[in-house]
Amino acid sequence: MDELDSAAFSVLEAIASNPMGYAADWKRRAGRPVVGSFPMNFPSEIVHAAGALPVIVQESRTPITEGRSLLPEFYCSYTRSVADQAAVGELDVFDAFVLADHCVQLLGAADVIRWAKPETPMHFAQFISSMDDPWSGAQVRDKVASLRVEVEEILDVTIAPEALSASIRAFNKNRHLLRQFYELRKTGRLRVSASQLQVLVKSSMVMEINEHNELLEGLLAGLDPHSHAPDSLVRLHLSGHFCAPPRPELLDLIEECGVLVVNDDLYHGTRYISTDVPEEGDPFDALATWYLDRNISAPCGTRVQRNVDWDTYLVDSLESSGADGVITLMAKFCEPLMLYYPELRKALDTRDIPVLLIETEHEGLAAESVRTRVETFVERIRRQKLKVPSLA
Amino acid sequence: MTLDLSLSTQQSLSTRQSLDLLPTRPRSLETVDKSNRLKSTSLGGKMVAEYWDNIFTAKERGKHVVWYNGTALNPIFQAAGLEWCHGEAFSARLAAMHLEGPAQQAGEEYGYIGELCSYARTHLGCAVMTQKGITEKQSGIVGMVDQDELASKLPSPDFFVNAYAGCSTGQQWDAMTYRVFGKDFPIFNVSLPMIWGNKKDSGYLRGTEWEKTPLYVEEQLKKLIEFIEYQTKRPFDWGALSENMSYIKRASELRLEAMALCAAAPTPATYWDWVASIAPINFLPANQMLVDYFQAVKDEITQRIVDNVSAVQNERYRVYFDGIMNWNKLGFLTRKFAEYDVAVVAGRYTHDSFWQEPQLIDLDRPLLGMAQHYLICPINHGLKIMEELLIKRCDEFGIDGIAFHSTRTCRAMTNPQHILARTAERDRGIKTFSFEGDVADASFYKDESLESGLVAMLESIDQQRAKV
Repeated sequence: MDELDSAAFSVLEAIASNPMGYAADWKRRAGRPVVGSFPMNFPSEIVHAAGALPVIVQESRTPITEGRSLLPEFYCSYTRSVADQAAVGELDVFDAFVLADHCVQLLGAADVIRWAKPETPMHFAQFISSMDDPWSGAQVRDKVASLRVEVEEILDVTIAPEALSASIRAFNKNRHLLRQFYELRKTGRLRVSASQLQVLVKSSMVMEINEHNELLEGLLAGLDPHSHAPDSLVRLHLSGHFCAPPRPELLDLIEECGVLVVNDDLYHGTRYISTDVPEEGDPFDALATWYLDRNISAPCGTRVQRNVDWDTYLVDSLESSGADGVITLMAKFCEPLMLYYPELRKALDTRDIPVLLIETEHEGLAAESVRTRVETFVERIRRQKLKVPSLA
Repeated sequence: MTLDLSLSTQQSLSTRQSLDLLPTRPRSLETVDKSNRLKSTSLGGKMVAEYWDNIFTAKERGKHVVWYNGTALNPIFQAAGLEWCHGEAFSARLAAMHLEGPAQQAGEEYGYIGELCSYARTHLGCAVMTQKGITEKQSGIVGMVDQDELASKLPSPDFFVNAYAGCSTGQQWDAMTYRVFGKDFPIFNVSLPMIWGNKKDSGYLRGTEWEKTPLYVEEQLKKLIEFIEYQTKRPFDWGALSENMSYIKRASELRLEAMALCAAAPTPATYWDWVASIAPINFLPANQMLVDYFQAVKDEITQRIVDNVSAVQNERYRVYFDGIMNWNKLGFLTRKFAEYDVAVVAGRYTHDSFWQEPQLIDLDRPLLGMAQHYLICPINHGLKIMEELLIKRCDEFGIDGIAFHSTRTCRAMTNPQHILARTAERDRGIKTFSFEGDVADASFYKDESLESGLVAMLESIDQQRAKV
């Protein structure tokens, strides 16, 4: 599968695989600060409007060394990698860090950064994770206000509402452009691999957003979708994997097993681009609205909300994409996903939708073992579709 | 050379390993127990058992039942005439009684993975079993096997309340329990922000973050009381809340005074005695009996000092315990540390939790003091405050070493341990070690990890002393 313009795509691919290199280069070019943020709900627009480069800190592909003695081994791969990056100096490019998500493991990693880099400001604007309480909206608005004060103080600037509105428009455009790729993929007419789409999303988390928009527009203009989807492939939905992207080689392996990935709810995928920030009204309030809206557009196991369910959202997504089954990718030790997975499985089992759980780790991928499991899963779906009678 | 094989044959016959399944070398358990636990805490065990027996009959008595997790909201529930089931407390109780298996199996069958918080896994397993009981009752079939298991005895909730500090899993856990029960019962969430230390003036009980945040929580507690009034269809008894908090305040003062007496060397009581006293201070009804319990504990400790009775025979090392309790191993660990002449004197879980700042409780405005206590849960601080508290405790109790319980499924408690160990060494030259275990899943406990780490730390302390 290779329908993307190779020159533009290779630029994005290089940046996605070396975010720190891009950030350092941008800093040299622009002469402005770089601010690191963390998944999964930080509004990058506010940093962008302050004239800095917002970069969502990514899991590094390098083996964890120093980080082993700073966070326990039973933390998820993303947080252990972040701790390791802090310890070995890979995060030195950042002038400040900001985060909004209350995840106990993430805060452990953030504390390691504070310990390793005490001179670098770190602000935690804890957005409420209970989304539908009477005070939820006011709390988030209050936190956005404190975030504004803190970012202004750290960067020694004033964030003008007009500047924030412009940044909101740029990020909305970016999400809109990315969603076009995802919509085409859903039809099966766009033969772009899951790992290639991951590059598009991951690079958008790292790059200056207008620069990224230009490259995306070029890529979209060069697309020539097929007239129909391939019949021979099993259509699957990839679910789970918060915070860090699944390894590209795992995504490629899945698609090598006769699979067409038609949709996902991954953070480095649909979840990240699901929701736009309102462009009307006060732009700071709009960021608070965006946060609350996101859990309705794409419910997440890290938030609690009585009137939305990830399982219902997943089942609806499958109906709209025509996926035949679900592969849940779970980063080992990710507690929100461990907690929610039984509810997802129950909803899928009730509807007779096949689901396969694959656990991922920072180091190592038991490729042949995973291949066997995916091939078996695909075969099971094919048989189910053919309604092959069971001897039992 | 001819060898006389007769003797060796004879020997081989006498030393040949038996083929039966009995151990060939019976393990001796004759190690002398050098621990000397407080006698007064046994009353706490009785009070706790009676409390749970009472809970199991709540429905028969027509009471409203609330399931809750996290901080100690029980004075509010008590004032509202509710029966309250604290999820973690019940998981801990099952683990301490070695009865956690059925609940954890039920959770596993439902789909919870073994690396998930074992408190949550056990409690969610109970929820699955309780829910199954409801379904069976509705269909007219009651599973007698399940009914015999303690884990399935919890009365089903009328509503849930969650107020979890520090650990993000806490809030998500109750959101899942709510779903296990098919969203049939309402849930109320109290959101407790971290005292993270964003500002330079941040510290324990000080700084702008500390001044502002409890007010936000206090407002939520008022809304919680409105919610309870709506659920129970009864006006809330504010006088009863103040009275409850007066008992808690007095019990807490006595507990802290008794803890302070343990700065004496040798210590008259240990961390394990304070672990045994967690349930009373954390969730038992606030009444005179609670105050009497802690008065008795303090009296016994005072008498021990007068009589020069120590909690560990031949105390040679004073150790601080960091990490949540390993409930499967309470008695075992008590004896284990004592065997090496180690008095575990204090710990983060016991000394920096559970109404530990009673001066904050204002009986005329009880909700504020409660909110403040919920926020000083020992897992709700940033690293800077945790370092401050650790050093303070080490100084107070003359600590020689720290045992870090690397609690496999409790990310909240293990979060800063590696850095805290470095801080203790850097600031006070205190030696540390880490051992593997878990809060409610015995399979994660590694005895060799504890033994080798403890011995190594004690040797380091000996060397350090020799140099002095």
